[in-house]
Amino acid sequence: MDEQTEEDDWFIESLHMYTDLHVFELQDPTRVIGWTSDKSVCVAGYKAAKVHEILELLLPQKLSAKDNQGLCPERDFKVLHGGFSEDSVNCLTHISGTRCVVTSGDPGSSLHLWHIGGEDCDVLKKIGDIHLKTETKSVCKLASGVAGAPSVLHGSQISDIELTDLTSRKLLYTAGEDASDKVSGLQFVDASVFVVCTDGGDLCLGDVRDPSGLRRVPLGEHGGSHWCMDLKKDGVSCSVARLSSSSQVVVSDLRDLRSAFSQAQLNIQPENTSCEFLSVTWAPVLDNCLAVSGLDGLVHIYDTTSWRPDSSEAPALFVHRGHVMSPGSEADAGASLVTTHVWHPWRPRTLLSAAMDGSLHVWDWVEKRTTS
Amino acid sequence: MPEIKVTPLGAGQDVGRSCILVSIGGKNIMLDCGMHMGYNDDRRFPDFSYITQNGRLTEFLDCVIISHFHLDHCGALPYMSEMVGYDGPIYMTHPTKAICPILLEDFRKITVDKKGETNFFTSQMIKDCMKKVVPLNLHQTVQVDDELEIKAYYAGHVLGAAMVQIKVGSESVVYTGDYNMTPDRHLGAAWIDKCRPDILISESTYATTIRDSKRCRERDFLKKVHETVERGGKVLIPVFALGRAQELCILLETFWERMNLKAPIYFSTGLTEKANHYYKLFITWTNQKIRKTFVQRNMFEFKHIKAFDRSYADNPGPMVVFATPGMLHAGQSLQIFKKWAGNEKNMVIMPGYCVQGTVGHKLLSGQKNMLDCFLFILCPTPIAPPAGLSMPGISFSKYSLEVKLQVEYMSFSAHADAKGIMQLIRMAEPRNVMLVHGEAKKMEFLKDKIEQEFTGISCFMPANGETTTIPTNPSVPVDISLNLLKREAAFGGPLPDPKKPRTMHGTLIMKDSSLRLVSPEQALKELDLNEHQLRFTCRVQLQDPYSDTDTLSRVYNHLKSVLKGYTVQHLPDGTVMVESIVLKVSSSAEDPNTKVVLLSWSYQVTPGCTIQGSQLPH
Repeated sequence: MDEQTEEDDWFIESLHMYTDLHVFELQDPTRVIGWTSDKSVCVAGYKAAKVHEILELLLPQKLSAKDNQGLCPERDFKVLHGGFSEDSVNCLTHISGTRCVVTSGDPGSSLHLWHIGGEDCDVLKKIGDIHLKTETKSVCKLASGVAGAPSVLHGSQISDIELTDLTSRKLLYTAGEDASDKVSGLQFVDASVFVVCTDGGDLCLGDVRDPSGLRRVPLGEHGGSHWCMDLKKDGVSCSVARLSSSSQVVVSDLRDLRSAFSQAQLNIQPENTSCEFLSVTWAPVLDNCLAVSGLDGLVHIYDTTSWRPDSSEAPALFVHRGHVMSPGSEADAGASLVTTHVWHPWRPRTLLSAAMDGSLHVWDWVEKRTTS
Repeated sequence: MPEIKVTPLGAGQDVGRSCILVSIGGKNIMLDCGMHMGYNDDRRFPDFSYITQNGRLTEFLDCVIISHFHLDHCGALPYMSEMVGYDGPIYMTHPTKAICPILLEDFRKITVDKKGETNFFTSQMIKDCMKKVVPLNLHQTVQVDDELEIKAYYAGHVLGAAMVQIKVGSESVVYTGDYNMTPDRHLGAAWIDKCRPDILISESTYATTIRDSKRCRERDFLKKVHETVERGGKVLIPVFALGRAQELCILLETFWERMNLKAPIYFSTGLTEKANHYYKLFITWTNQKIRKTFVQRNMFEFKHIKAFDRSYADNPGPMVVFATPGMLHAGQSLQIFKKWAGNEKNMVIMPGYCVQGTVGHKLLSGQKNMLDCFLFILCPTPIAPPAGLSMPGISFSKYSLEVKLQVEYMSFSAHADAKGIMQLIRMAEPRNVMLVHGEAKKMEFLKDKIEQEFTGISCFMPANGETTTIPTNPSVPVDISLNLLKREAAFGGPLPDPKKPRTMHGTLIMKDSSLRLVSPEQALKELDLNEHQLRFTCRVQLQDPYSDTDTLSRVYNHLKSVLKGYTVQHLPDGTVMVESIVLKVSSSAEDPNTKVVLLSWSYQVTPGCTIQGSQLPH
């Protein structure tokens, strides 16, 4: 009964906290939300099942209506395209400039290439596999190439980082390192330079034009056994945010990765020890804001503007509690663990987040006015 | 091969004018008779010429079944029955029967009186049509004739919405109409038996969507109402007397209570009484919570919601008013709208669809200037108004009304999404699924999904006029006599396994629409017939110069020596018998040396007994 009241309280509070709030129930939980255009995302199943669905969803049209939002009653996700994968989908990336996505499943020897159908067909078809040189021991992380022919940068550990051309399936680049550190994320900075974050928190810089290896910058003195990262380019500078499994965030400038530009200890009590869903993302529109999830059932938003180079406690700008407030969440505490989140590309305060119970939320929080 | 044929006349790969023909076990049934709201010409009605080119509707159709009162499911009914001509039974649930004529009359008024269309059905036609209606109760099996039976199940889409099972012998079809698998504040969720129909015809309006939660829809509604009231504005909610209106009232009442809000909420007069009247009649069709509370107190008597008087519309300060009709085409809702439209602080919330030609429809298509429709509504024959014209209660400056109030369109329609469709398939366990009421090319994935998740189920998506034929394997029950079963058991081997097919020998007697398998002896006895014996004969010619009797003796001796272990007899009547085979010898008429041996045997030849070597020893 108390749970019910708490949910009701949150529901009433939500009237003031969110401009838009949409709560969806997917058939299977997803741990990937990949943008395929500025109005559509791909989600896919990952839990042990015979088949996993990959869906391309059109965002509620109400969100895209710029004027006269009130006249648009469409608040549902439209399934634009769907397909089935035998492999679980643990990582997914849309290949820029194409209608293709690449997915990686449980550790193994191949990645999968999918074509999202056009207007006339709603089927998402697998068009091939990318065979890896060696069997991976952990999930292969992916990043779409940003220039030239469609390509994908992939790696599960430092030693197997490669860039593969998607048309010819030829290897364009191999990092050529033999370190076995697990990769927690990789991202391109520009057409050829990329950054890799290891599970231990070290950053490695590579250049696909230069096969002589990676430049590694160790993390230094920090706790936390697992780390993940996100990049944000801002003119000439590029900020790297790293999040640890013990709720620390370290922000560095790409030009000087050795020292922390700013850092903070977040007020989050990690509920999940495996940290496989750890995620930090920079807001694309709001300056210096980042979102953190994977430690508990919440999505936390922070403004890093006031953060200092020496670590201190940082209060959250906003906390999305929707996933723990859904009916039935009290039955299974682990079910509401947030699996992933992404920012909307152009709506400043809109995010999409998913949890282990299959819930998928789209929300747009209300900026607190300083006067109130 | 027995089969079921399904032909959509409307709603195949299309939304609107639902109408589906089903042929099952020699019966023809029309499921729904809806109207397309987007057209003004012939296309708004289903194509009945598909049937009428071969004769009258009444001769062809055994019955018509209407799933619920929405016009895209019943709007063409008076046209079909009174203008095209159909005199057979029309089945619908009690609430549908009560509400359907009100909606048809409303729509007729808009079309004929407001838009000036001719060649449309009249009020009398609606009345005549409704006389042909036979009401249905939930879960009651209704015998349309000796063979055709129908049964209604709860669909949860609107008050009185039903899914229907149609059965002839062991063949059956389930038609869902529109349905909803998640209960809301006033309706329960759709439910059906595990009735394993040969085909499930399901609506698929929202098959390619993942629905936003009910809660968030309600949240949006409360947020808009609350924001407007907070800034001192007035909120108008045009509603149809039944259904969503009650749901929204329950929601606002709870919210006002919780937030301790003081702004008055009004419900148009007459509406409450009408709604209460219907709800009392059809309380069994609402959800359990309402049914329970109804016993203690009237769920539709509210603490915060009071009866509206037309003078209240001019009261200062915030207020919320629920008023009919829902499409702002006449009456109280339109009057209030006209008073409030000019103030940007106010808001109108449209909770449902509006047909063309209504103020509601113009508002929802974004029109800000209501000149045309206002003049049209006020003066059915448009005339150029003199300068400075003013109407009682409304003053027009430059003959127009600028809509400054905020317009919010909110859809509360309760349809099943992909998940709901899968749930219903799991519930009913059909052999085939047909999707109607949606866009075909966008449903290839859903078809794959259904066929993948439910092995053995085929999924169809026919276009209008396209017939889908489903072969059925009706199982025919046969009674087997105990004797025959005992005999079967006596043959040894395991007793028949009920799950496995097994060959049995017997005589099938078809009598008085019952089938029995009995032993041949019993069949003869019952039918008072004698057993006939079938014998086969054959003539063999021999060259033998002896007399007929001598030749026969020689044959006898030879057979006796050759066929050791068999009974070979020389009978006094001049025949030889080997087991049951009879031999006779006669001379040829032309040549006495040529002997003709006649052999005769019954069907059951003793195994191994064949005559070998026709060469007789000399």
